[in-house]
Amino acid sequence: MYEVLLYDGGVYRINELYELIEDVGGFIIQKTQVQVQITVTLAIPEEEKPAIEAKTVELGGKLISVPLAGTEIAVIAPTLARHHMPHPTCDIAEQLRRAGAITIVMGLARGKGRRTSQISADEIAIIEEYDAAVFVLGNFRDCILEHKTKLFEDLEVPVVVVCGPEIESLPYCEGLICGVGRKIERMRREEEIYKLEEISNRVEEVIRQKRYELDEDPLFVHPAEIKDRIAELDAVQRSLRPAPIVLHLDGLRVKIPYEEWKDQIADVEVYGRRLGDIARISNSRLGNSTIIRIKTRAEVESG
Amino acid sequence: MSKYDESFAYQNFDTILRQIMVELGVSRMVTDFRIVAEPDAPYFLISLRLGKARTSVKVSDMGIVDSSPRGAKITITDENWAPALLTRLWQKYGRDSIEQLTRYELIVIGASDEELMDMELDPGEELRSKVLDAVWRIFPEGFKVRHNLMNDDVMTLIGTEHDMEEEWIRTAEKIHEEMHHSKKEAE
Repeated sequence: MYEVLLYDGGVYRINELYELIEDVGGFIIQKTQVQVQITVTLAIPEEEKPAIEAKTVELGGKLISVPLAGTEIAVIAPTLARHHMPHPTCDIAEQLRRAGAITIVMGLARGKGRRTSQISADEIAIIEEYDAAVFVLGNFRDCILEHKTKLFEDLEVPVVVVCGPEIESLPYCEGLICGVGRKIERMRREEEIYKLEEISNRVEEVIRQKRYELDEDPLFVHPAEIKDRIAELDAVQRSLRPAPIVLHLDGLRVKIPYEEWKDQIADVEVYGRRLGDIARISNSRLGNSTIIRIKTRAEVESG
Repeated sequence: MSKYDESFAYQNFDTILRQIMVELGVSRMVTDFRIVAEPDAPYFLISLRLGKARTSVKVSDMGIVDSSPRGAKITITDENWAPALLTRLWQKYGRDSIEQLTRYELIVIGASDEELMDMELDPGEELRSKVLDAVWRIFPEGFKVRHNLMNDDVMTLIGTEHDMEEEWIRTAEKIHEEMHHSKKEAE
């Protein structure tokens, strides 16, 4: 299984690191160079980590574990209005970003209220595009247990619920963290910081579990292997968005219009095959983006 | 009563209301408050008792009014009232008619000094709008069917999701009445 790490160091002899990553069968997910400093997000087979660690020491850099790198996670609240106190939602999204994930914050159009709270089919479809969803709920046990579970009961992506009161168990979710509730300010106190860490640890476990499940029926190629090839497309190079290609556990989100570019994307060559044959390419619900879901090795070989 | 233990919610609402009141600078003016939430019903009720009776203040209590060739001149002696005074003057005479000579001196063009001396400011209005702001910040957003009870020193608001029941309004009236007689909270 691949492990994602962040190398933080200088540009001196950095090519040796790139060569080593390639030799051990790993990939570079992202490179950010600021003058002579460079940070490299890389994915390597986990058994090869000691070799990379040794190289890092030799080059005088640092290796930081970013367990959520290569994932895109949605943090969802019933509403983002002032009444619902969006502070914990933003803090959780920031915490997950620090662990390496790309996050979005989403408020539901008609999520407010107790019995009137609802989620639309469109919203469900948008959330399904992400690797995991974190739902930030409120204070009342009655409201959460009786009425809020319907918000995520139809979701297929793993769900982690964050709420106020201590609840032993909640159906339809993979993780449950209690003790947050509504807040009028940022989560800055010691116990709140621990709580944020607890949330990101739980999300990591859920993601790890999903990675294991994917490994049982492995993908034809790792999404990072396709990334470089898609990055060569004209539209991607011209894109001004900060992260034009976002990795998912089972594919990628490419932020270029689907209708215009679907054929060029499908024609990208990966190990002698067309990308269109080894992946499902579809329009993203968010607009102006394309979702690529890589087929499993078994699917490709049998098809 | 709810079949679940909602102590976390009560404690949380208590904390956030206190924090919001501190943020808005009204915590000393609210001498007592009660929050009753019944998620089973469902309704949410909040009742607050305001400390200071909302008496009005005259311009002559916060400054010296003289006549001037162009109208009237006010020399402010209590600067705390300056923003409220300016707002009131702007409302009545328009911005063009108010000239601020210095930090403490104002000329009101075309006004007579007697008229200004008798002008009243209502500090309660500002306090009430700030307290209401605090209430709206914690009130559950989906509870849009509301009933308000308000008089000089107590305001009670109850909200629900669908139909408001008579019984809940009676509860609100009872709490509203009790708040009038409740002991002043130790500050």
